[in-house]
Amino acid sequence: MKKNHQGIIKENIKIAKDTFKLTFDSNIKEVKAGQFVSILIPDKTLRRPFSVSDFVEDKISIIYKLKGDGTKYISSLKEGEKIDFIGPMGNSFNIENKKRALIVGAGVGIAPMLYLKKVLNKNNIENFLISGFKEEKEIIKGSDKYVIGGSVLDSIEGLIDEYKPDVIYSCGPYIVLKLLSHIAKEKGIETQVAMEKLMACSIGVCRGCVIELKRGNETLNASVCKDGPVFKGSEIVWQI
Amino acid sequence: MADLSVDLNGFKLKSPILSASGTFGYCDEFEDFINVSKLGSVVTKALSINPKKGNEGNRIFETNGGMINRIGLENIGIKEFINKKLPILKEKNIDFIVNLAGSNFEDYIEASKIANKNGIKAIEVNVSCPNVKEGCLEFGTNPKTLYELTSSIKDVYKGFLIIKLTPNVSDIESLAIAAQSAGADCISAINTLKGLGVKIEITEDKKIIKQTVSGGLSGRCIKPVALSMVKRIKEAIKIPVIGIGGISNRDDVLEFLSVGADAVEIGTENFTNPNITEKITNELIELIDKLNLKNLDELKRKLRE
Ligand SMILES: Cc1cc2nc3c(=O)[nH]c(=O)nc-3n(C[C@H](O)[C@H](O)[C@H](O)COP(=O)(O)OP(=O)(O)OC[C@H]3O[C@@H](n4cnc5c(N)ncnc54)[C@H](O)[C@@H]3O)c2cc1C
Ligand SMILES: Cc1cc2nc3c(=O)[nH]c(=O)nc-3n(C[C@H](O)[C@H](O)[C@H](O)COP(=O)(O)O)c2cc1C
Repeated sequence: MKKNHQGIIKENIKIAKDTFKLTFDSNIKEVKAGQFVSILIPDKTLRRPFSVSDFVEDKISIIYKLKGDGTKYISSLKEGEKIDFIGPMGNSFNIENKKRALIVGAGVGIAPMLYLKKVLNKNNIENFLISGFKEEKEIIKGSDKYVIGGSVLDSIEGLIDEYKPDVIYSCGPYIVLKLLSHIAKEKGIETQVAMEKLMACSIGVCRGCVIELKRGNETLNASVCKDGPVFKGSEIVWQI
Repeated sequence: MADLSVDLNGFKLKSPILSASGTFGYCDEFEDFINVSKLGSVVTKALSINPKKGNEGNRIFETNGGMINRIGLENIGIKEFINKKLPILKEKNIDFIVNLAGSNFEDYIEASKIANKNGIKAIEVNVSCPNVKEGCLEFGTNPKTLYELTSSIKDVYKGFLIIKLTPNVSDIESLAIAAQSAGADCISAINTLKGLGVKIEITEDKKIIKQTVSGGLSGRCIKPVALSMVKRIKEAIKIPVIGIGGISNRDDVLEFLSVGADAVEIGTENFTNPNITEKITNELIELIDKLNLKNLDELKRKLRE
């Protein structure tokens, strides 16, 4: 199955402050939670990567926040118009043998977690999704609990002790993923985090988006686009 | 169907469209997008004697019409390439050229010996690497150093030897001539241009955040520089020239052929459009047919009239 596609826009709607949801028809048969698509932006050298936030039949949704020229272009797309995208790219969250999952989303990082929640439900894996947003207007719906203002991590320790998950999944700003990984490690719980890094090729050839992993006594570089975006929190060499 | 084959002084390619080093990995990833075996050749990511981890920090910066990279030659090392990747390329019948990098003379020679021993048909030597012994100046900026490096490699490597020039020099002709005199079979040009990306962001609370990335500029914006260099090189030497720099469509390829390139490599555009090499290949065939020409050589002649 080739990975370059044309998508036909079905819907492109505002769902929160500066935040939109784009849904398009694709020819894709399967997307795993955590995978992403990379969209071509006219006159830009680099494609823009976005996590899949929902997948129904062959319709892909992404949730994106306005940042610069690329997201501005995407927000201008109308129903029936076409986009050029490649995907699904990257690895995915591992849900094998999991029984009880705590899902933590911060800001627009909630996008892949919504699809993950759906997949977990389908596989009868118990789960609880907590998400954090800066203000009321930024809330992206779909969580079991919201933290508004402050940090999604403020009450996380209590929640972990009470919920007793066997795995924590997360996506959001670097600092959130880093702190959450530390907290979970101390409690002996596995974490899987979806990372973001500026990428050029999106397919694993240019080594532009690497992060450092530690496996045993060895450290190695892994590309966020191909080896990731999902990594075990305990394997990442976190920077300050 | 039009014949696209190219004869570079005895080294035969089935098409003039090659992928540029560092933008195609070791090629397996591109099978999700194109039929890689149709390419004239895949040029591998630069390989060094020992694996390299590359640079820390941000490695990519997007610019108008291009990008800056400071990957730092992260690669699996030539031995791993020979053990793991070479069998795949051979099995799939993919033609390839091995791009070599080094930080001193000995590294280049050692890697060339390994290439020779393993029957690698062609190597492209990346001389844009800093020469650690000589104040980290790039090997490819001094004609005397380049002559010595090229002739030492020629002594140990019996296949087709391509020297890939850096554009970060004032007198590109003298370097092309040095490589030719030392026995290079072919020149490829250009590698990336030295560039600095600066991004300044003024936050809502009036703070200024500055990000800078210093590295090699590539992509559509460098094409005029590359065309100029290829033309100058071609006029200075007799051996074949492979043109590289900013190619993003068929017409760009025609421009390079018209100023004397015998073949071309496509780099950064693979990131934007991963199927670009196949698309251009097909469009070239169509064009040759449409012009009622027999082959690429006839097209080249027309373009240079
Ligand atoms: C695997 C992955 C999944 C992502 N999923 C989502 C998502 O679901 N929703 C969402 O809103 N955003 C997501 N992002 C971030 C998103 O790609 C950027 O916000 C977007 O590329 C910005 O483009 P722009 O042109 O509007 O902004 P600009 O700031 O103008 O972009 C300039 C350059 O920086 C890159 N860039 C900017 N911000 C980021 C970032 N945070 N991460 C990586 N590259 C960046 C752009 O791709 C572009 O090359 C994801 C990033 C990655 C790596
Ligand atoms: C991410 C990246 C990595 C590169 N790595 C190498 C390399 O390992 N060896 C080399 O000789 N050139 C390398 N190059 C240079 C390209 O092969 C090419 O010469 C240059 O990018 C100009 O062509 P383009 O504008 O088509 O990209 C790299 C370029 C990029 C963008």
